[in-house]
Amino acid sequence: MKIKILAFGIIADIVGKSEWTIENIQQTDDLKKHLENLYPRLKSMKYAIAVNLVITSGNFELTDGAILALMPPFSGG
Amino acid sequence: MTNKKIKKVFIEGPITPSFIADAIAKHNTKKDIGAHSIFLGQVRNDILNGKEVKAINYTAYNEMAEEKFHEIREIAFEKYSLTCMHIYHSLGGVNSGEISLFVFTSSKHRKDAMEACTFIVNRIKEEVPIWGKEIFEDESYIWKQNTP
Repeated sequence: MKIKILAFGIIADIVGKSEWTIENIQQTDDLKKHLENLYPRLKSMKYAIAVNLVITSGNFELTDGAILALMPPFSGG
Repeated sequence: MTNKKIKKVFIEGPITPSFIADAIAKHNTKKDIGAHSIFLGQVRNDILNGKEVKAINYTAYNEMAEEKFHEIREIAFEKYSLTCMHIYHSLGGVNSGEISLFVFTSSKHRKDAMEACTFIVNRIKEEVPIWGKEIFEDESYIWKQNTP
């Protein structure tokens, strides 16, 4: 199972990339844990997760081919 | 999502005063309009840790942002009695003193145009996935945070 991940704003800076794919992750909580282990700075950060353009809440079940976006607080305008 | 055409919102670089003037001029044939309300967001030269912001570089999750803009338009049209509505937002670099957001609402009477304009600006700041990177004179930067 493959998930495409997009990172924006300060999160893209922290992880050092804005787009990649990841395998064997089933749920958004697993992904968060995985990323926070790799990039401890994420632990203290507030960010939303969108799956296929919809912002998720709680632990969200992922499906093959999903596009997941890591979004820090918006600052448009 | 309705199947209505998604309008182009993003403009590369600053929104120029002549673009805004043209947008106003285009409404002179719509004679049932009695009020326009316009919001212009301008890049401010904030001083942060002794350094002056010279520009903001905007990036967005385009696909989601376009959907959100569309959603906000639809809600505003439902909620207020508007004749028309235009939203433009910059992507890429915008220098301090230049315009990065242009919201333009028109209605028969001023109340709808004015309230809708405020409503739309608030929703954009809260809901549209756009990020501003504030760039200082020495090219260092911080990620902008919106004031509620």
